[in-house]
Amino acid sequence: MPSTVRHAAGGMAVPIGSVVFAFLVGGVIVAATGGDPLSAYAGLLCGGFGLACANGENTALQLSTTIVFFIPLIMTGVAVALPFRAGLFNIGAEGQLLAGSVACTVIGVKFNTLPAPILLPMVLVGGALAGALWAGIAGVLKATIGAHEVVTTIMLNYVAQWLVRFLIVGGPLQLPHGFSVSSPIGAGARLPTFLPNDNSLIIFGLPAGVYRVHTGLLIALAALAVFAFLLWRTSLGYEIRAVGQSQRAARYAGINVPRTIIVTMLIAGAFSGLAGAIQIAGVDHNLSDKFFNDTTGFDAIAVALLGLGSAVGILLASILFGALHAGGSVMQADAGISSSLVQVLQALILFSIAANFLRVLGGRFRRRPAAPASQAPGAALMTEAAKAPPGDGQT
Amino acid sequence: MGHSRLKFLGMVGLALMLLAACGSSPAPASKTYKIGLVTDTGGLNDKSFNHLADVGLEKAKTDFKVQGDVVESHSGDDYVPNLTHFATLNYDLVIGVGFLMATAVGTVSGQFPNIHFAIIDGAGTDANGVDLKHPNVQSLYFSEQDAGAMVGVIAGMLEKEGKSKKTQHVISAVGGISIPPVNHYIAGYKWAATMEDPSIKVLVGYSNDFTDPAKCKNVANNQISAKSDILFQVAGGCGLGVLQAAGQAGVYSIGVDADQKDSDPSVIASALKKVDVATYTAIKNVVNGQFTAGALTFNIANDGAGYALDNITLPADIQTELDNVKAKIKAGTLTPPSDIPA
Amino acid sequence: MTFLSDIAHLLITADLWRATLEAAALLLLPALGGVISERSGVVNIAMEGMMLTGAFFAVVADLALHNPWLAALVGIAAGGFMALIHAVVSIRFRADQIVSGIAINIFAAGMTLFLVNRIYGLQDIGHVGQSNLLPYVNIPILDQIPFVGRVLFQQNVVVYAALILLVLVNIVLFRTRLGLRIRAVGEHPQAADTAGINVYAIRYGAVITSGLLSGLAGAFLAIGISNTFVPNMTDGRGYIALAAMIFGKWRPFGAFIACLIFGFGQAIYDANSVIHVSQYLLSMLPYVLTLIVLAGIVGRSIPPASDGIPYSPGTE
Repeated sequence: MPSTVRHAAGGMAVPIGSVVFAFLVGGVIVAATGGDPLSAYAGLLCGGFGLACANGENTALQLSTTIVFFIPLIMTGVAVALPFRAGLFNIGAEGQLLAGSVACTVIGVKFNTLPAPILLPMVLVGGALAGALWAGIAGVLKATIGAHEVVTTIMLNYVAQWLVRFLIVGGPLQLPHGFSVSSPIGAGARLPTFLPNDNSLIIFGLPAGVYRVHTGLLIALAALAVFAFLLWRTSLGYEIRAVGQSQRAARYAGINVPRTIIVTMLIAGAFSGLAGAIQIAGVDHNLSDKFFNDTTGFDAIAVALLGLGSAVGILLASILFGALHAGGSVMQADAGISSSLVQVLQALILFSIAANFLRVLGGRFRRRPAAPASQAPGAALMTEAAKAPPGDGQT
Repeated sequence: MGHSRLKFLGMVGLALMLLAACGSSPAPASKTYKIGLVTDTGGLNDKSFNHLADVGLEKAKTDFKVQGDVVESHSGDDYVPNLTHFATLNYDLVIGVGFLMATAVGTVSGQFPNIHFAIIDGAGTDANGVDLKHPNVQSLYFSEQDAGAMVGVIAGMLEKEGKSKKTQHVISAVGGISIPPVNHYIAGYKWAATMEDPSIKVLVGYSNDFTDPAKCKNVANNQISAKSDILFQVAGGCGLGVLQAAGQAGVYSIGVDADQKDSDPSVIASALKKVDVATYTAIKNVVNGQFTAGALTFNIANDGAGYALDNITLPADIQTELDNVKAKIKAGTLTPPSDIPA
Repeated sequence: MTFLSDIAHLLITADLWRATLEAAALLLLPALGGVISERSGVVNIAMEGMMLTGAFFAVVADLALHNPWLAALVGIAAGGFMALIHAVVSIRFRADQIVSGIAINIFAAGMTLFLVNRIYGLQDIGHVGQSNLLPYVNIPILDQIPFVGRVLFQQNVVVYAALILLVLVNIVLFRTRLGLRIRAVGEHPQAADTAGINVYAIRYGAVITSGLLSGLAGAFLAIGISNTFVPNMTDGRGYIALAAMIFGKWRPFGAFIACLIFGFGQAIYDANSVIHVSQYLLSMLPYVLTLIVLAGIVGRSIPPASDGIPYSPGTE
């Protein structure tokens, strides 16, 4: 098993090449439908990174938007990547995120008079625990009776979505005389932003309040470090990887496979739940209808795969996806190209990462199967999970 | 293209405009007004109010010297950045479509006090849902209950006179989500239908969806099974399934927001919420320097809400009653409720 | 208590069961596709994207050709084309099949929306006329049977097709040589290869078939149940089908039972005009039900042994 470092250094060519490939194909699609690819991409670049802006967009503002977008992607990306290492496919990061945001909101509203040193840890821990619980259901069902985590996490996503809607549309969390939103969490439950939310303070030409980068960024970066440390420097990490390689071998090596599965899901859920809590505490300050249409947990699957399951990879992939998200809007406003193009580009990047077109086209293709586990962590996980107990239930 | 050439073109254009301005009054503004439109997550092809807002913008583009740019929001996370984007570029008017953007408009309008904002179906609020009453925000509200009442009169009269397809004295409405703009329609509908035909039963169901026609169709089929003769859809793109279900079952249906005459032959009328008129009006006011903060309500009296008769020829007495009720609502002697009556 | 009596009253109405079967058939088609694909050893989580593509192109074709049958064929082909991409990427290029599947889903969602925006712009996509929809067909005589006739024999033509395909797929998979080969390739591709079975051909065929079935489901949704295309109209049904497939232990009839549960939950929910309980709690019903059934009855779900592993000759 290659180390994260080697992943980060040696493995960069494929992702970068894939991104280039995706943009080339995307450009053809734009041109074929009568658009101008160059102005489209200029809009993306401007929106994502504040570079090459045609209409004088503010660079600092665009960067801050990108950062706000990628913070939850990092957290949920980890929540998908960690179970991947154990051969588990966590499609449920979204549901876990929602559980975390619900818990954060409930605590932040109920105890809204508490001061920040007490309330802030409460909402963050509460969010993480709720996410862990949500993922834990899938983990326990998997470890004890073998219920497939893909089914259970999909079901749990739906249950969480309907729970959110129930709570805020006419339900117990609904803002009195409001609709489709909860009451706001107390001031003590809010993560501070790096710049004061003061409209009279002008920074980089704009009121300071427009830069919404919050301290959740530090939590996300810490989460990445925890993820890498856990996976490569602890015995639990070793067990997770061993289970992912082969459950049977892991069992012979004396590893408690069911326990490892449950613990992996609990930790993953905690990351996702924390992402949801951070989103409420750092950005939104209340639970709203937007969480019903939220897709962060699904984008996270792409992020984890694009990041090759490594900490550095997840960081870079999150930045890319966050920048694409922020860039899409500017592209549509400036160039009139539908921001749906962003999804097309994301898909093309994934295709080309997965297929490793470049290696094939570059003639360095050897006639052997690309080792799935080292190439992309999603591979073979269905099978690894499958090989569990010989002769059970299968015909 | 070089700067000098741009400058030259600009000067020629300016000269032409000055020439054109001579003699004509009022003088056309030489300035191009920049209007930014931010859709909610329904997107431009929602066959509902985002679409209508864009129609209003397009009309303004042909009538005034207006540059209109549109950004679709893919998630609620996009509202603040999208509104901010237009604000930082000094747009003359930034329009947010839909009440979901209320807090976003509240936040951004506070940061950019010199930029004019308008919001459809809502106000610029704080996190507690309290209208911040920023002097640069105009709220464009609609009396959906007025439009709902008009189609309710039609449904009630048809039932009372035995002129619906089956006349079982049951009518119904399919809402998208149970939120005020939806329930206002249903409130007016139920109120008016009951007023015309006190024996009528009004079923109300929700699809919890604004996009998936299959879901609304099933809700509609259930209402048809429960003997509904006339179905009112209040669910945007999802509600197209209601119109279709009515057509297949041989009962009447009523469209919403825009005139949905062409969606299905079963559509006898549409309750209109003229978001296009509202958007156009907001832009016109900015162009004419008549922007006003606060609420602007579009109702049946100012023709911002109303109804369209579609694939049916109404008996004369029903038309008379319609005109009668319309006049009374306009005069304020009848007021449709905004909450669904029990 | 009103809630329980409402439900009880509902359970004896034929329309509830008719709606259940219709919703189940819509899920069954992609689920069957998933069964075939995964039985051959290619993980397929892309039914959602294939359905959505099928729905979009079926509507575009129907509006242009005014013929529901040709339009359905176009939808089926569009689903098949997306599957072909999945097949090439995951079989020829030995890509990670989950990554490829996720990519297909994202691609389909983005591409259909992008095309709607670029092609139709502000204009409405348009509605397919009643006469150009995939028809509802009453089976003569049988449709007159009380209750059962309404439930089973007054359905859309695609519902009948789905039920026939269910039986057909089951027979092919478990009673024919082709089925044996498909399963062999999914369990032990090396051994199958040694025995002279063309592993690639079987896998390509299986994956493309899954796309054709998903495309048909998309066409059914767009020009059978509905009469137009709405962005993201599949609304997660492909994922539900995926869950149904796993729930049913990669067996056609098992998947069908799961589809019936989901269809039933949807049908109960859609009766919310006459049931008096929070619609949101009602909405959770099918999903909670699935979790409970999974936990209590179904238990372990084990995919085919080589599901998800790209095959290349000469390994091991």
